[in-house]
Amino acid sequence: MRKRTLKRGLTAFWWLTLIFLYLPLAVVVLFSFNAANSAARLTGFSLRWYHQLLGNEQIITAFGNTLILATCSSVIALAIGCLIGYGMYRHRHRKLGWLIVLIYLPIVLPDIVFGISEMAFFVQFHRLTGLLQPGLGTMVIAHVTFQIPFVALIVYSRFVGLDPSLFEAAKDLYATPLKRVIHFMLPTIKPALISAFFLSFTLSVDDFVISFFTAGPESATLPIYIWSAIKKGVTPEINAIATLMIGAVALAAVISLAFNRQRKV
Amino acid sequence: MTDLTNTVKATDRADGADTASKDKRGASSIRMQGLRKQFGRDSVALAGVDLDIDAGEFFTLLGPSGCGKTTLLRILAGLEEADDGQLKIGGKDVIDVPPHRRSVNTVFQSYALFPHLSVRDNLAFGLRMRGEPAAERNRKVAEVAEFIKLGSLVERRVDQLSGGQKQRIALARALVCEPDVLLLDEPLSALDAGLRGQLQVELQRLQKRLGVTFVFVTHDQDEAMVMSDRIAVLDSGIIQQVGTPSEIYEHPANAFVARFMGHDNLFAITASDSNWVDTGLGRLQLDPAEQRDTPDGWLLIRPETLELGGDVPADYNRLEGTVEERLYRGSRIEYRLTVNDHPLTAVAGNLGQRIHDVGDRVTIGICPEDLVRVAA
Repeated sequence: MRKRTLKRGLTAFWWLTLIFLYLPLAVVVLFSFNAANSAARLTGFSLRWYHQLLGNEQIITAFGNTLILATCSSVIALAIGCLIGYGMYRHRHRKLGWLIVLIYLPIVLPDIVFGISEMAFFVQFHRLTGLLQPGLGTMVIAHVTFQIPFVALIVYSRFVGLDPSLFEAAKDLYATPLKRVIHFMLPTIKPALISAFFLSFTLSVDDFVISFFTAGPESATLPIYIWSAIKKGVTPEINAIATLMIGAVALAAVISLAFNRQRKV
Repeated sequence: MTDLTNTVKATDRADGADTASKDKRGASSIRMQGLRKQFGRDSVALAGVDLDIDAGEFFTLLGPSGCGKTTLLRILAGLEEADDGQLKIGGKDVIDVPPHRRSVNTVFQSYALFPHLSVRDNLAFGLRMRGEPAAERNRKVAEVAEFIKLGSLVERRVDQLSGGQKQRIALARALVCEPDVLLLDEPLSALDAGLRGQLQVELQRLQKRLGVTFVFVTHDQDEAMVMSDRIAVLDSGIIQQVGTPSEIYEHPANAFVARFMGHDNLFAITASDSNWVDTGLGRLQLDPAEQRDTPDGWLLIRPETLELGGDVPADYNRLEGTVEERLYRGSRIEYRLTVNDHPLTAVAGNLGQRIHDVGDRVTIGICPEDLVRVAA
């Protein structure tokens, strides 16, 4: 009897947690389709805020910046992180604890510290060399730095999960070093690479703090636009952007998860 | 599990001339001189190995784990670099040749089938990496699939295979490359006893049919004896003995080899002359051919050479013992005896003779020619 009560209590707790997590998101989604101008009442279904988005040049630019930033940074982070992940795997038997900590550090470091450091660095660098004007370029660099650890760890864990004699079998079966990369390593870790790409993409789209500190006047992304827009108050338009972003990020996360699942063979 | 030999015969009948010509392709001899390998500061894997393996031989490296047999195999494959020494395969010095340029293929203990490829693509991998044209590849893969009787397995995914099937695919994947030397790293150790016994016979027949040099690594002395033309017994990175299975079993070079081959009846020699030795069992006559320069060492008595009960011929050694334990094994009966407070094991074929009971006093007859002196 008591066992059943406990079980029911736990089930209820589970649902409460879900509601707590997703109710705010549901509210945003709901009001993005609201016909009324104010968030005070629901008057009916409408797509007018979505139409309005398309007419807002600032939003379209910010959307474009977000996509460019996320795509470029994810591709670069994928390439570098993949090499680091393989390096970590190759030298896993050595005592490289401190190196792993260095790679983990950006994950645990507060974004604000990271953002300010990046900004300070870019300002100094620009002052000394005249290069790296704040803008999309600096943002890509900043995003790559926090995406790399995630890519490296995903790739590393894929390699660790492989039978080590596979690498030797490839050598034994006449594969030159280049062919080993093309015909064995890349195809074998492909699911991990796709997963890592979409995770990086999501992280980039999500990021506000680091983007904010490294952006230039022309390179506002959607999160930066939203932040500046809500200083004037939350409009239904913002709800519509938020809804689109929730959809996009959820999609990327699902793809990332799906490919991460596929990895175990 | 299918019988490889049946397949071989079928292929032979269908395409006799072609298979026959394929048989004679490049089997290579192997010559190792002074091979050394050390891991870290004080872990010596190989302490100077000199070994010649003939072309077309089924050669086994036998020893306990950590004896260096796998390291030696990996040096042959090129997966490990020797610190020192020479290695020639087919007369060519290959010590500096990387593994992807050696005409040597390996069947790995874990099979190491590529998880991202189908069975067919796994089989074709080596040929593809070597740059053989697609038509040639397909023909050879079809041929080996027929040869090892893989049938519909070729269409499967790797994760849908059982252990025995993986083992055959791994073997086929190595053989399809037509290597001069095939290396096998305990390929049967993950299989259950029945399947293992069957595959031992099949592998041996396959090797004889192809004529390719096989170098087989195992820690199982029965497996080694069943399959091999010759065996090298290794311990602590040193070759203890090289010989045919019967040489190694019947005349082990030292106490380590004797114990590793499963011999229990070893007795320290306390004194000896040209035709007798003193051990804990008493003074025993032996063949003058067993005379050694050094007085010490061990006397080996093989359990199956002992004759229990009945009349002992005049020229035999005669001992008296007590049966302490009797292990009934069906085809044979194993007796644990004590003779002068020393344990002695005897094995008698179950031929319908009298079965002795625990506690019985029995006479033990030993032919002097069956006694073997073993170095310390």
